[in-house]
Amino acid sequence: MQAESSEGLLQRRAEIRRRKLLLNSEQRMKKIVGFSQNEADRPARVLEPRFHLDLECNEPWSSSCSSNRLSPLVSDPSESSGEEDVSGGVQQRLAGSPRRGLQKYVSRFDDAMKLRGQLSAEKTAQDGGGVELDSFCVFRLVCSVALAVFVRIFVCQYLSIFAPFLTLELGFMGLHKYFPKVEKKSQSTMLTAALLLSGIPAELISRSMDTYRKMSDVFSDLCVYFFSFITCHELLLLLSGSDMS
Amino acid sequence: MAAGFNWFLVLSSVFLCNLVKTLLPSISSFLSKIFQKDADQEMEMRTEIQNMKMELSTVSMMDEFARYARLERKINKMTDQLKTLVKSRTAQQAKIKWIVNIVFYILQAALMISLILKYYAEPVTVVPSKWIAPLERLVAFPSGIAGGVGITCWLVVCNKVVAIILHAVS
Repeated sequence: MQAESSEGLLQRRAEIRRRKLLLNSEQRMKKIVGFSQNEADRPARVLEPRFHLDLECNEPWSSSCSSNRLSPLVSDPSESSGEEDVSGGVQQRLAGSPRRGLQKYVSRFDDAMKLRGQLSAEKTAQDGGGVELDSFCVFRLVCSVALAVFVRIFVCQYLSIFAPFLTLELGFMGLHKYFPKVEKKSQSTMLTAALLLSGIPAELISRSMDTYRKMSDVFSDLCVYFFSFITCHELLLLLSGSDMS
Repeated sequence: MAAGFNWFLVLSSVFLCNLVKTLLPSISSFLSKIFQKDADQEMEMRTEIQNMKMELSTVSMMDEFARYARLERKINKMTDQLKTLVKSRTAQQAKIKWIVNIVFYILQAALMISLILKYYAEPVTVVPSKWIAPLERLVAFPSGIAGGVGITCWLVVCNKVVAIILHAVS
């Protein structure tokens, strides 16, 4: 009899404890995520996203469920009142912005440190030897020389020498995809590190570097073309001069 | 005839400068070997350290501790002296390399400036101006002669081409 009564007492106590847990679960969750009771009383403007555990929502993630949920921290305009609440929200905003700025700075610093590690690990590039001679590059140079000789012998009397060159460059743009693509290692320099630290996105930097590389290739082709043209011209003059003498 | 070879003179100068630039490390190491006085001493010290280490390996630490310790102290002392010697040699090499680089760049700058001054008003070569239209003014700078190839344009072109050739060869 006594055992039965003690068992019943234990069960009752467990039941009370369970009810207490269910009732206080929300408050406990708020405590865990750092939302105190005092802040819940006054509606505050949220600076960081916080999640809200809805025990009653049994569906796996439905839009209706999520849309109906409101974070308890998000201020409801209808509830906001008083200047004290606004000043408190402003204070929180000011407190959040240096933290965000610091996080941004730290992330940029990490990028810069990684880049520094890359710089020290990479081999130093040869001075003035930045041209990587892959198959397409060799093809371009050979075509430039060949075109220069052809233009000097047959074409230059009729039009400017730069017109065929521009046509050649347009042809290269189309032929580029038929050549094996070589993964050009992006050159990490002090300039890219400085640009990263300035807050310029890495994608923009890489695109600019890519554009610069392409312009550099076109300039190399132009120099080779012009050099070949002038050399061919001078050799022809020399040969014609020796023939005449 | 001499005027017809101006372009070749500039090209040769640029080629020579770039060639010497690629050979600068070899020149620096050659000069540092000539000016290095302690090379033999360093070699002797290395040999002596090697011999002492071999002797140390034959000596038992348990049986002849005093001799072992004395030998080890000798090795450590000689290793420290060798380190100091190597440090001073490396510093001397770096100094020689720096001097050679400075001298080269001064000579190169002097050569380029003298070429520019010589061909400031005179183009290195002349072609019909319609061939290089519409860039004839840019190409002719600073000579200003229509159809002429100016020294600056030719220097830039030669530098690029020679750099490509030397890179391909090396």
